[in-house]
Amino acid sequence: MPASPAPPLSSLLERRLVIVTGKGGTGKTTVCAALALAAAQRGLRVLVAEVARSAQVPHLLDPNPPDVGYEAREVLPGIRAMRIDPFSALAEYIGLQLGLRNLVERFLRSAAFRQLMDASPGWRELITLGKIWHLERMRDGDRPRHDLIVVDAPATGHGVSFLEVPRVVLSAVRGGPLRHHTEAVEALLEDSARTTLLPVARAEELPARETAQLVDAVRARLSIPIDRVVVNAVHPAPFPPHLADLDERLARLPQGLPLGALPEPATLAACARYLRARHELNRGYVVQIARSTGLPLVCLPYLRDGLRGRADVEALGRKLLEEPRAAA
Amino acid sequence: MPQRTPGAVKIDVCVGCGGVGKTTVAAALALQVARSGKRTLVLTIDPAHRLADALGMAELGSEPEPIPRAVLTRLGVPAHGSLSALMLDMKRTFDDLVERFAESADARDRILGNPIYQHVSDALAGSVEYSAMEKVYELATSLDFEHIVVDTPPSQHALDFLEAPQRLLEFLDSRLVHVLIHPAFAAGRFGFRLFHRGTQRVLHMIERLSGMGFLEDVSEFLLSIEGMAEGFRTRAESVRRLLLGPDASFLLVTTPELESARQALEFLDRLEAFRVPLDTVVANRVRTWPGRGEVPAEGIERGTLQGLRDALAAQEGPDFPAEQAARAAAEAAEGYAALVRRDARALHALQIRSVEAGRDWVTIPELPGDVRDLEGLDRIGRCLVARSAGEETVAG
Repeated sequence: MPASPAPPLSSLLERRLVIVTGKGGTGKTTVCAALALAAAQRGLRVLVAEVARSAQVPHLLDPNPPDVGYEAREVLPGIRAMRIDPFSALAEYIGLQLGLRNLVERFLRSAAFRQLMDASPGWRELITLGKIWHLERMRDGDRPRHDLIVVDAPATGHGVSFLEVPRVVLSAVRGGPLRHHTEAVEALLEDSARTTLLPVARAEELPARETAQLVDAVRARLSIPIDRVVVNAVHPAPFPPHLADLDERLARLPQGLPLGALPEPATLAACARYLRARHELNRGYVVQIARSTGLPLVCLPYLRDGLRGRADVEALGRKLLEEPRAAA
Repeated sequence: MPQRTPGAVKIDVCVGCGGVGKTTVAAALALQVARSGKRTLVLTIDPAHRLADALGMAELGSEPEPIPRAVLTRLGVPAHGSLSALMLDMKRTFDDLVERFAESADARDRILGNPIYQHVSDALAGSVEYSAMEKVYELATSLDFEHIVVDTPPSQHALDFLEAPQRLLEFLDSRLVHVLIHPAFAAGRFGFRLFHRGTQRVLHMIERLSGMGFLEDVSEFLLSIEGMAEGFRTRAESVRRLLLGPDASFLLVTTPELESARQALEFLDRLEAFRVPLDTVVANRVRTWPGRGEVPAEGIERGTLQGLRDALAAQEGPDFPAEQAARAAAEAAEGYAALVRRDARALHALQIRSVEAGRDWVTIPELPGDVRDLEGLDRIGRCLVARSAGEETVAG
């Protein structure tokens, strides 16, 4: 046991299950990696479950990560990662339910079954959520196997459809084990003591609007707890306040003035104008997201050089655990 | 370049993942086509009012809405050209398909009222994409327009709109569906031997998990849509021929964001596998170097900041922190140069592949703010025009 007291846990780490959601390109996967790393550094045993064609999070944590598939594997001390493949999850589920593992494998490979599955909506989402429920229940002795499960939810084009599937199933399936299990999944999703939905947004027009729609839809149609929004890639102010209009001053310099090794004034002004305009645009949408969702925000900075390694992920993780700022 | 059918409707299809600016590129392209004197239509799925605002319209409907003549004149569209816009209502599109292909009014009501249908219609993979292409076919065959620009729904899977009908048809043809639809036949002594025992086991398995009733709903749903299959099949084939034919061309739109550049490469693979007529790859919102020549390769050689400091001090007076400002300006230039280099790196593989395959590569520089007016559309349109000008040169 370390001598120094552990730092206080962020309120984000009080849940068992954090479902990270957002459109492709918002940096959802980066947020998952940053959250997992921050939690593990505070002594939690973390599982990252990705719902994607290939696991991305391990690559953000380690330049040479182990191959991660359906079986969870340790990526860093305290962090295990897995990829929830719907067909594997289905085989596991049906095998558990019917106790016919070998027979089940044969069915799953049959053309008729594949065709049915390819054309059937919803089952991928349902079985994925079922697997997450199963992961949450896993125990090592009397304590949970994972203190925190971070789910990198699919970048869906349809907002909350991933999370809405249990409701749809409950309205279509009237009885039997499937209904019973779906009710258990729904209960986990709606339990604010165990679960939170973490939307990742960007401070730009479309992502800002989509985040507001997502939050509205969750409030109107689902009961999944949601207590903050992460706004990723916010351009910081490029100049100190007393030089905020530096781009305009640069533009007034005599054109073509030789500045030694530096680009000419018009070029300097254009660069400064871009960075200032991006910052102002982002700031405007941060305010808009706060207003339209009514939720506190956690803003992560735009990284000009991209993610260069684990140190950058760690820095984002520290930001992520800061208590969110209340709506402006 | 394939020979175009004289007098046929020309179709441009903008594809790409969500959030790359497809809608804006489609609108800008349509505006440029209208300027060349064509009767033009832009079909969008963007539910935002942004595009309508930019085009000077209060709202877009699900039927082609002509843009007022006064607005067109201001945009430089000649008298014989026109521009109409249409916004596809995603919720309605699949219902429309059912209306069109249902065998009877009774069958239609049965389908629309089935609880399974109500859940699958908006979730059925690719149905929205397919329905959008249906609409394009309808408009292309109406001959009201000479040129149609299509903005496709953002999709994870590049070609859902081409592949979805096939998937649906294969499913309807499958043995499992026949068993579900004709349980009496399957259970009958004669038919029983005909179908695979495995299929029956799958059904038992589903029944055990889902309880009674669910399979009955599914079966009824499949029975009611079975009658649609023939009309659907014929139409799907026509849509396919139109989009892969000589009068269609595709534009792949991407941005230099790592994720969208990566997805664009995947799109490219799929489009090539399908032999889709992809003419142009558009890199949107690219940060380009504003100075003369190339972006400095490795950080800006700051040397001494004295020249800039003196120039700022002379302009701003003695109280101005010229030294600090000069340093900040140099850092900003360096920071922006890093972004320019980053974008070029992100797009490099895509650009090489596109150019090697003989496709046009169009770069649209990022504006500091949002594109929300005609000026923005015009600027993007001019970048795209370079492409059509090239085409005419080749044709001439």
